[in-house]
Amino acid sequence: MADPIKLAYFMAVKEGASYLGGLLVTDTSGIPLDFRYTEPITPTRLQSILYGKSLEPHLKEEVIQKTLLKELKTPPDLFILSVAELAGGWSGDARYPVLAVQKSQESPLAKVGDAFRAGPRDLLIQLAEGAAPLRVMFAASVDAVAQEQAVVKLLEAGYHMDLTEPLERVTAALQSLVVKEP
Amino acid sequence: MFGRVKDAVADAAETLRRAFAGLTVVEMAPEPFRPRGHGSAALGVEPRTGLEPPVAAWREMGLLKEAVEGRALQPIRAELHAETGWARWGVEAEVVRMTPLEAGKATQIAVPPLPRRAQVLGRVEAPLHPPVRRLSDPLVSPGARRMDPTLDAGNAASGLEIMLSLAVPIQSEDIQRLPKGLWMRYSLQLVRGTGENVRNLEVIGLFRIPRKGVADLRHDPRQGRILVRLEPAALRAARAPFILARRKDDGVLVSCFVEDP
Repeated sequence: MADPIKLAYFMAVKEGASYLGGLLVTDTSGIPLDFRYTEPITPTRLQSILYGKSLEPHLKEEVIQKTLLKELKTPPDLFILSVAELAGGWSGDARYPVLAVQKSQESPLAKVGDAFRAGPRDLLIQLAEGAAPLRVMFAASVDAVAQEQAVVKLLEAGYHMDLTEPLERVTAALQSLVVKEP
Repeated sequence: MFGRVKDAVADAAETLRRAFAGLTVVEMAPEPFRPRGHGSAALGVEPRTGLEPPVAAWREMGLLKEAVEGRALQPIRAELHAETGWARWGVEAEVVRMTPLEAGKATQIAVPPLPRRAQVLGRVEAPLHPPVRRLSDPLVSPGARRMDPTLDAGNAASGLEIMLSLAVPIQSEDIQRLPKGLWMRYSLQLVRGTGENVRNLEVIGLFRIPRKGVADLRHDPRQGRILVRLEPAALRAARAPFILARRKDDGVLVSCFVEDP
């Protein structure tokens, strides 16, 4: 029997001058298997000056993401983040495909399980009968073969769960952590 | 008496006549009075052709130009002005004229004796030399400080308890896609588990949830899903199919786990 698919949902938020990140690993039902979060990172003024505009991308991708992934015993099958983060130029890791999912307003595809390639890194997949297809965007590091493999896993997980919902849970959990910590 | 007065008057008259005998009377015709008018010149109309265009006049500022150029081009020449001492003496020498000695004006002046010892006045103190101090402490070169700009995230903490406090939405599986035999098997188990007549049950959905550790379960009819609140035991529990149904007669929700074949 194949190992169950593990989906990793990553979200980093900025609260005031601090950055906080969280990584939720779920099964294909959306049930949490693990959740890790970083302590709030507050860059010093000198660090803000030295890093300039690259501060936020560096913090999210190099510092927060890698710190959280180090804590996982096994790498996830899919690394899912928000569309905004992916559009910011997320480089990703070769060990797992980095992608973003978004509900679309497109017309439903012919049948459940169909996929339509809208661009080199942009696909539409049909998860439910009569519903709008889900838009999937891959990072630049994910080649076409890896994209096809990732779509199969997304179709399997999307049969049981809402693939976009766990990111909302990560955001809610991070916000509750910010409220707790003064 | 009367005769003397008469002679006297006659003499006086003769005297007056002789005095004014040389005067001649000249008659002059009076000049007729003519008033002189100092009128101004009559206003005249000077014909013009209309608006005249402004005339650009070229004026050469020769004076300033020459002055600037002249000053700029004027070379500096050194001239030697020498004068002889005699010439200067002749111009500026003042002749002192000594009054000649006169007898009786000379006075004897007592010559004061020369002092035996010269008195030193206004003794100038030797200039004070500022003390030379030697700076024994050498300048310390500023030490370069290194600040590691590396951003460190610290340690990642486990927050599974926080995540479990949030409701997990679980979607219903598409019953229509299930094999018919499997669905009949599930239906039979539902009737057995709930004790209801199959005709009185309306299946809401089939969900795969943990067999243990489900603390709370709510139905979200708008999106056709259930919201479950889990306990840590649920993470290790196996997932099992779970059927949620509604009784048609009173609308009460009934549910049961079913076994996979």
